[in-house]
Amino acid sequence: MTHVSLQDLTKVYPGAASPALDRLSLEIASGDLVAILGPSGCGKTTAMKMVAGLLSPSAGNILFDGRSVLKDKPNERGSVMVFQNHLLFPYMTVAANVGFGLKMRGVDPVQIAQRVDRMLEQVRLPGLGGRKPSELSGGQQQRVALARALIVQPKVLLLDEPLSNLDAHLRLEMRDLIRTLQQEMSITTIFVTHDQEEAVILADKVALILDGEMRQYDKADMFYRRPADGAVARFFGGRNFIPGTSDGASFEGPFGSVKLPPDAMAGRGELTFRPENVVLGGCGPNQLACLVAQKTFLGTQTRLILNTGGTSIEMTGNPAQFDGVRVGDHITISLPPDTLWMLTA
Amino acid sequence: MSGADGVFTRSFRVITALVLIVWLVLPLIPLGIWSFAKGWFFPDLLPRVWTLDAWEYALSDTAGVMDSLGLTIYISVCATALSILVGVPAGRALGMYRFRGKAAVELAILAPTIVPGIAVALGIHSVFIWLGLANTVNGVILVHLIPTIPYMTLVMAGVFANHDPAFEQQARSLGATPLKTFWYVTLPAILPGIVVGGLFAFLVSWSQYILTLLIGGGRVVTLPLLLFNFATSGRNDIAGAIGMIYILPGVIILCLTARHLSGRSSAVGGYGRL
Amino acid sequence: MSDRTKIILLLLPALSVIGLLFFGGLAIGLMRSFNYMPVIGLTEPNLAAYVAIFSDREFYLSFALTFHIAFTSTVISCVLAVGAALLLRRAFIGRVIINFLFQLNLTVPHLVGAIGILYLFSQSGSFARLAAEWELIARPAEFPALVYDPYAIGIILQYVWKEVPFIGVIILANMQTIGEDYESVARSLGASKWQSFRHVLLPLIAPGLSSASVIVFAFTFGAYEIPALLGANYPAALPVLAYRSYTDVDLASRPEAMAIAILIALLSAAMLCAYIRLSRRGMGR
Repeated sequence: MTHVSLQDLTKVYPGAASPALDRLSLEIASGDLVAILGPSGCGKTTAMKMVAGLLSPSAGNILFDGRSVLKDKPNERGSVMVFQNHLLFPYMTVAANVGFGLKMRGVDPVQIAQRVDRMLEQVRLPGLGGRKPSELSGGQQQRVALARALIVQPKVLLLDEPLSNLDAHLRLEMRDLIRTLQQEMSITTIFVTHDQEEAVILADKVALILDGEMRQYDKADMFYRRPADGAVARFFGGRNFIPGTSDGASFEGPFGSVKLPPDAMAGRGELTFRPENVVLGGCGPNQLACLVAQKTFLGTQTRLILNTGGTSIEMTGNPAQFDGVRVGDHITISLPPDTLWMLTA
Repeated sequence: MSGADGVFTRSFRVITALVLIVWLVLPLIPLGIWSFAKGWFFPDLLPRVWTLDAWEYALSDTAGVMDSLGLTIYISVCATALSILVGVPAGRALGMYRFRGKAAVELAILAPTIVPGIAVALGIHSVFIWLGLANTVNGVILVHLIPTIPYMTLVMAGVFANHDPAFEQQARSLGATPLKTFWYVTLPAILPGIVVGGLFAFLVSWSQYILTLLIGGGRVVTLPLLLFNFATSGRNDIAGAIGMIYILPGVIILCLTARHLSGRSSAVGGYGRL
Repeated sequence: MSDRTKIILLLLPALSVIGLLFFGGLAIGLMRSFNYMPVIGLTEPNLAAYVAIFSDREFYLSFALTFHIAFTSTVISCVLAVGAALLLRRAFIGRVIINFLFQLNLTVPHLVGAIGILYLFSQSGSFARLAAEWELIARPAEFPALVYDPYAIGIILQYVWKEVPFIGVIILANMQTIGEDYESVARSLGASKWQSFRHVLLPLIAPGLSSASVIVFAFTFGAYEIPALLGANYPAALPVLAYRSYTDVDLASRPEAMAIAILIALLSAAMLCAYIRLSRRGMGR
């Protein structure tokens, strides 16, 4: 169990005009699984490598349980990094790969063999120790890389895009495996990803970095319900941004007045709500009459573009729900107040 | 891992680098000095008299150095041209097709790059005597093909392995004849490879010693033979001047092709033979 | 035209030139080493040439010397080349210069390097003059024999000078392809710097290093002009011995020269097999 704090962590590569990572500060509680989320090139992997000791920061500090680890060499730091392309040593067997860290620590070979077997069972690859990495599937390779990291019982586990190389069905399996093992062994875990879905399904908390700056550090669902600003909402797939004014209780905009949740801010700004939270039909407060301007079938969902009060609203829902709706129809929708949120302009 | 190096590591690195730089240029320095020296005797660290005598001798019409230079260029150019003609098609076959016996063909083409020249040249010499090719320039050119063709073929196989035949198919479907397709589509695509491969094939031929000595029988005196003779007969000044002339093409070619010369290109393999 | 015909036509010129010259040359050499040459009336093959060389003490000394030259040069070059590649992998002042010098050195013929070594290390060479300047020696003969010497030090120095850049360039490219992430993983898993070199980087570059050293070994075993220039008279390196026997006034020793040439070819054929196996293994991963 290790508490990790990053304090103003900054990295400027020699010759670079702007820092690759600018003053990242983050408190990660013991045993938490935290995602650092951001678009490619925002310095996420740089941050991970600095925590792992593979890069030295230009400024700032990294503390494990309140002690600065900047002077610790990567092999003495107690953090283990799992790279995105898993980087299994190609000339070693799976068992030798998993046992590598123990061998480096001079553990007795018999004991290594036992612990490797146990570890392979835990990642659900029993009996594959004799294979070469090239004989495994992508999902299996990823699990070997995880086993190779976990076997040394790191204080901090660092994962670089752990699910991104996997198919949809393997992602869920891998997510469950990471969560289970991480909780069983109660290892503080940080992972970086550019994929908001990956962050949301895996992490306890997510730190979102946009334009080199941390915008929000929160539980995953809050990014959908209470985004910090328009950019955060847009990054998480927000589509509806209606300018107007709020008095804290209701919003005055192009389509009249709608009721807001109790914690909404007052002042000029944008009303946002997610397309999937718009309800078809008139029940409850905030009912609006709209004209269907566009209807698009998206497979598992259908999307409607609606015109009301000179502005347009996007809504999505189960295709069956929209069977009777045609372009040009007049329909009524409602916006449940607790799905609405006010953003400062 | 960068940025974590201490002062000790850094100064160690700089010192090693300096030693390496000195070591790499060191053997060329006395060669250069000798070419401007006159009677540079032990224990003088530097010549007492500096002259251009050796260079005047080497560049004069009568000494034969210039004839030898011309002959060496002629032989290397001919060997290069022939190996391009032979190596380009073979490289295409090896780079673009999979076929039965390919491993054996590759082995046969690779073999001359590993097996030393002297091992085959003795046998060739007895046949060349019989064919009247021994002691002739043509015989020397032919025998230079042994190291240059495999080399050219391997470079071209690498070039063709990255060549997309779809461009040729596109040209054919647009109405080009096979010949026009080769001239307007294939050749421009592979030309840089041919140039680089050809320049290196030239260097491989340029540096041949034992093949020329044996097949030329001492009658075909290329630059390296002349250099060897002057070096062993104690004419260090002239050997210095010839040595400088002899390394010139390599330096020029290096400057022309520096970009292509990473270890990843198959071209470097050929340098093992220089 | 079928693909098959096309492939045959494409390969035909190269294979006939190599077949006739290279394999033909080997075959003739083999026949003559057995004193078998029907064209000139030798129809009874025998082992006389092999018996002669295998009962000659000089052959064994030559073989041992040649093997020593090739083995020592290859090992020293490999070690130094890996070190140089590790150095050149990092950005620092002087890297550009060394890179350029490495490539320059690749283009300099062995013979020029050999003459340079001669002028540097002979008993009246630059180093002997430096020693005299510092009053370590008074006469050239007091300078240790580094060329024409029984241990072939001058020859080995020349090969090391030429082959360190050759192997170094290959290994450096190899390292750049591999990248540093594997070592980072190892470091992160608890390997020290030395351990991550020994257990991770070295095995990763091993295929490239071994195929480069095979090329170097075969070359240094079979090259003529370097030992001819820098070597002692007795024992001489095998290629020098072969050339001498071949050009001997006594034509009877020609089959012996052929037999030595065939032995050199056999050894390099073994090297070729090793090379193929190593490069296959390298590609297999």
